[in-house]
Amino acid sequence: MTPDFLRQLVNETTLFALAPFLVLCAGAMLLLLADIVPGAKGLRAPLFVASIAVASFFEVRLFDHPTLELFSNSFVSSPKTAFWGLLFLSSALIAWCFAQRYYDEEKGFLAEHDVLFLCSTAGMMLMAGAQDLLTFFVGLELLSVPLYTLAGFRRTRNDSVEAGLKYFVLGAFAAAIFLYGAALLYTDTGTISLAEMRAHGAGTPLALLGVALIAGSLFFKVSVFPFHLWVPDVYQGSPTPVTALMATGTKAAGFAFLLNAAFLLPKSAATTVAVIALATMAAGNLGALVQTDLKRMLAYSGIAHAGVLLLAVAGGLAGDPQASGALNAALFYMAAYVFTAGGAFGLVAWLERETDGPVTLESLRGLAARRPAIAAALALFMLSLGGIPATGGFLGKYLVFSVAVRADMIAVAVFGVLMSVVALGYYLRVVVALYMQKPAVEASRASEPHLPATLATGVCAAMVLLLGLAPGWFLARLV
Amino acid sequence: MNNLTLLVFLPLVGALLVAATPRGAVAAQRLITHVTMLATMVLGLSVCLAFDGSSALAQHVVERPWFALPNGASSVPIAFKLGLDGISVLMVALTALLGPIVVLSTWGHIHERVKEFMVWLLVMQTGMLGVFLSLDLVLFYVFWEVSLVPLYFILGIWGGDRRLYATIKFFLYTLSGSLVMMIAVIALLYRLGTADIPTLIERVGSLPHGTQLWTFAAFALAFCIKVPVMPFHTWLPDAHTEAPTSGSVILAGVLLKMGTYGLLRFCIQMYPGISLEAAPWMMGLGAVGIVYGAWLASAQNDLKRLVACSSVSHLGYVVLGLFALTQAGLRGSVLQMVNHGISTGLLFLLVGMIYERRHTRALDHYGGIASVMPLYAVFFVVTVLSSVGLPGLNGFVGEYLILLGSFQASPWIAAVSVTGVIFGAVYLLMATRRFLWGPLTHAANKSLTDIGGREIGLMVPLVVLCFWIGFAPNTFLSRADGSIDALVKRIDAARAVRTAALVPATTPLLVQEGEPR
Repeated sequence: MTPDFLRQLVNETTLFALAPFLVLCAGAMLLLLADIVPGAKGLRAPLFVASIAVASFFEVRLFDHPTLELFSNSFVSSPKTAFWGLLFLSSALIAWCFAQRYYDEEKGFLAEHDVLFLCSTAGMMLMAGAQDLLTFFVGLELLSVPLYTLAGFRRTRNDSVEAGLKYFVLGAFAAAIFLYGAALLYTDTGTISLAEMRAHGAGTPLALLGVALIAGSLFFKVSVFPFHLWVPDVYQGSPTPVTALMATGTKAAGFAFLLNAAFLLPKSAATTVAVIALATMAAGNLGALVQTDLKRMLAYSGIAHAGVLLLAVAGGLAGDPQASGALNAALFYMAAYVFTAGGAFGLVAWLERETDGPVTLESLRGLAARRPAIAAALALFMLSLGGIPATGGFLGKYLVFSVAVRADMIAVAVFGVLMSVVALGYYLRVVVALYMQKPAVEASRASEPHLPATLATGVCAAMVLLLGLAPGWFLARLV
Repeated sequence: MNNLTLLVFLPLVGALLVAATPRGAVAAQRLITHVTMLATMVLGLSVCLAFDGSSALAQHVVERPWFALPNGASSVPIAFKLGLDGISVLMVALTALLGPIVVLSTWGHIHERVKEFMVWLLVMQTGMLGVFLSLDLVLFYVFWEVSLVPLYFILGIWGGDRRLYATIKFFLYTLSGSLVMMIAVIALLYRLGTADIPTLIERVGSLPHGTQLWTFAAFALAFCIKVPVMPFHTWLPDAHTEAPTSGSVILAGVLLKMGTYGLLRFCIQMYPGISLEAAPWMMGLGAVGIVYGAWLASAQNDLKRLVACSSVSHLGYVVLGLFALTQAGLRGSVLQMVNHGISTGLLFLLVGMIYERRHTRALDHYGGIASVMPLYAVFFVVTVLSSVGLPGLNGFVGEYLILLGSFQASPWIAAVSVTGVIFGAVYLLMATRRFLWGPLTHAANKSLTDIGGREIGLMVPLVVLCFWIGFAPNTFLSRADGSIDALVKRIDAARAVRTAALVPATTPLLVQEGEPR
């Protein structure tokens, strides 16, 4: 290897642009080391938080920096990817906070748990910045493999192992389909670069088949109808903090790439995508309507939210991609979702510890009297998931539907908002249980202080309100 | 700080103060709520008194930039903009006035979780004032939906046995309308690039007819559900029956007016042309609501359900008058919104008072209680007569103007609606007879105590208003006249355009420069 080539790979620009990714990788290595060095076990939590903090610092610096193209334009770093990156980091940190008191038998493996968290987050960053299919695939695998392990992390529990296995088998299958699709696209266009495909066009039947396969595997990752059936089981079986990461981070990363690569789909596919989006909303919301287990309900609600985001993709396809604002709407929607769903899943994790069992509508009854702060936060998250104004969820929903309206999809938009009326049907049932029903059983365990979770809940609630009431700062960075 | 900003956020500050008190300090919580509501009332009424009714322009306007909402490649500035005009002034006064009365009424029936109740009551006051004062479409929408949440809790926590069913029904019903309205809001912002309501009112007419039609329909749907207009009314009797007295008073007194206010502000003022097209349908729905509501009411045995059904009937008049699109009709409707707030509010208060004593609302458990509760009976009869529309009381002025206005627009629909006046008298007076007069048949009723100082005190201002509006309606109407006159001019202009378009003109009446003939 010539020094010139090395300099192309490693120079100030690439280091600057990849800094967040590299920091996470280095953090993961250090965590592994700290686990085997005697006496360094106490460094676990500080190391994790420091990795996230330093990575965030570099993301913030990238925020105000013009777009950088790296490695012959196979990876890009722009204010948009920095925004995504901050979302991934927030999602990981929130989920991690709630994981701190979650595990019992697996306590000894928390270092591995954190390493996998960091690797997975690094994978998300690769996915969001990927400009060719292989870079994306590497990111996808870097995200997925740790998550397969994490899903089955509670190895003494059947449901966790089942979740891990299910996620792994189906995930591997989806990965294979992605590669197959990429191969077909390469056969037709002779390139794996998105930019060249954009210039070239991908209109032949062979290329379209490739695009369809890729879309299918992405739809699997972000839980879009009809590839959503794994979601309830895997989300419910996985340890709840891992579910939080899966629901928020994975979805964000998947959509980051989906929005990047959406141009591969022909314009005429907009209606099909919109119909898939509506079907996803219907599948998620109608499924959630009959759940009594909060975790499973949130899993179904996650499917519905993927449907709403897909509507932004459809709107972007139908209209002019630049003027449609689809990317901005999806970014904001996802930002609200990361804090809302992250907080909601986190509270489920917290309450699971206290009740020693699944969090059901029954066990939530009368929580407002026992734990007023937790109940208030959970109610706020439910209202935000349902898109009630003064919360971030409302503005996200507004922006996504405005993409659809600008693309003249009025009927689709109306159907979509009526679906969110259905959604309120089950979100309100949670609030009803919290505030309006008498407790059926008394709490079995006394509440113990849980500082990381308290902080994370507070930050999530504050962000939900901030995004709803003073969104100017965020929106100014999106336009 | 601007008066209106203070007016809107004063209750919210009170809510935060109440939230900061310890759980058991009921006296302090009541005191803070009372003081805040009274201060809000004084401020609100003084702003409304200082209002110049001859002008159609918004007054006391405050405008602060809030955020820039992305709108495709550009963005729309969203402002925190409040203002008072002839359409909102009476609503603001009514809301401000009912606040302390509602708080005073809670002494009798809210004994559990007082703190939370007071917080929600104050938050609701902020939400409702915000709805009436907003001059920015997005701000309006935020207040509109946020004001659902407090009532959801008030119904769901302090309501009757079937409260959960009624609460969710109320919430989902209203929400489905609001969300469809959201699509219309998005479309308006996108097409016209502004969220400023006065600017929108000027510019909506420039949109293609189809867009105007469906956005109008979306707005109308949301407001018709809220009013509620006849086919969308089924949530109302359930919500009213299950709500605690104070919840019912707010619901009937103010929240339903948000619907009629919306129809006036957004449907009629924004789309005068489309309103003319839709007028026969809307008037028809109003008339059907009047008769159907009266018919429903006459079949009720539950006193509260009866009042709720009578609301459907009375609000039918308001819709009828609004879509008559004549000066008399509009004036009558604006006044009738206030009248309905006063008389139905009083009726719910009275029903609540008897329920607190006897714990039943079934009419056949009563009879002859005028002999044990003479003062109560006086208030009840005055209220019923005001609701029926006896000359000299407020209801008469409103109903008369509405019927006059709708007769000018459509004699047939007016003729159908007049029967509602008769039906109204029939079911209300018959209920009064069963309730108050005759022999005391139930032993439990013999020990009923008459209303006390607090109860009289909270009703007196409303009863005074009944007579005041009945004898001197101009005190109130004159504040709305400037806006209504301007609105009538807009409607007449739209009517002229419409007639010109319907009559095949030999020479074009309006030819713009550069347009090919």
